[in-house]
Amino acid sequence: MDTIKSTADATQKAARPISDEEEYYVGRAVAAQIISSYPLLDDKGLTAYINKVGQAVALHSEKPYTYGGYHFALLDSDEVNAFACPGGTIFITRGMLKTAGNEDELAAVLAHEIAHVNHKDGIAAIKKSRWTEAATIIGSSAVKEYGAQDLSKLVSIFEGSIDDIVKTLVVNGYGRDQEYGADKAALTYLEKTAYDPAALKDFLDRLTVQGKSSKGGILKTHPGTSDRVEKVKASLPEKAADSRFVQKRTSRFSRLLAK
Amino acid sequence: MEKKIFPIGLLLVLTLCPAVLHAETLSVVTRENALRADCSFLSTVKSKLNYGDQLEAVSKDGDWFKVRYKNIKGCIHKSAVTEQKVNLSGVKSSKSSSSSEQEVALAGKGFNPQVEDSYKRKHSELDFTKVDRIEKFKIPEDELIIFIKNGGLDQP
Repeated sequence: MDTIKSTADATQKAARPISDEEEYYVGRAVAAQIISSYPLLDDKGLTAYINKVGQAVALHSEKPYTYGGYHFALLDSDEVNAFACPGGTIFITRGMLKTAGNEDELAAVLAHEIAHVNHKDGIAAIKKSRWTEAATIIGSSAVKEYGAQDLSKLVSIFEGSIDDIVKTLVVNGYGRDQEYGADKAALTYLEKTAYDPAALKDFLDRLTVQGKSSKGGILKTHPGTSDRVEKVKASLPEKAADSRFVQKRTSRFSRLLAK
Repeated sequence: MEKKIFPIGLLLVLTLCPAVLHAETLSVVTRENALRADCSFLSTVKSKLNYGDQLEAVSKDGDWFKVRYKNIKGCIHKSAVTEQKVNLSGVKSSKSSSSSEQEVALAGKGFNPQVEDSYKRKHSELDFTKVDRIEKFKIPEDELIIFIKNGGLDQP
């Protein structure tokens, strides 16, 4: 009976939501892992620019504030890719930035990644058994300073969790539904921010064309781009963005990228 | 006929006015935040706030709370606060029952700085100083406001 009760308790604890604070620490370790594979691009002007675009969009998302906030950084790689670390740190590669045709397409890419953070898609990659194990340790300890044995177990679970997420982000990619969900949310964020939601479709169209000559990066982890284009097309709002401002934003995008 | 004016008027007042709350305490759940003069993201900062700071809710206005902090009145977005008290000691409250209460009682527990420190020691190949640098890179709010305005974007 005790065994049944403790199993039931553990299962219930396993379903507990991860706190924003824990998600932040998970996200930091995931970011450190990604930086170890892709070097950071040290360009203050471009970094400031992607942060402005990203912050403007994030403020229109379901969760404008996360524990540690949203941060956007560039990776020095030709590969066309983007990664959303749990908690709000988002990376895009130099290749991705060059593939975006204008500021609105860049905003669409960032909006899609912000949606993955909001939907906790990275956290969902962690195997459930790890939560069960973690809940047992967390539940049995009355203080936040852990003894050597509990700490060792927790670090091991933490390590496994980071590996689960990095594997999903870099190798396997998210599930199809998670991608569709992120596209749908991105359209909403773009519309609310007054970016052109059609920019997401334009960007995916470009990726599809590019996919015929390249199979790496985001094309490896985001399969079925043509399916996504169709779904995005069907969900586009009727009202188009103000073309004068799209032009203005495209000009500042081109000026910055030309430097 | 006249008797109906009062209830309709009252109904209008109740519908149009922000919800008035009984002195409820809110806790800040982000590492840093700000008490804003108006209920919008980039309005003037009246006071800086930190994780666990306690605010007195005065009323609710859509996704924003009008609050009082150390006798300063201002606004804070709902995603930056919880209606539960954040237990900074990490000791789990015996009264906790709902998942949100449990989450708050577990503040500082689980994957925390102690776990990160041990992880860093095990993985000396990882450079967390670069992660710190990414987090420290901030856009001044006045710059963000100009960027939003110049680009014809919506200022939330």
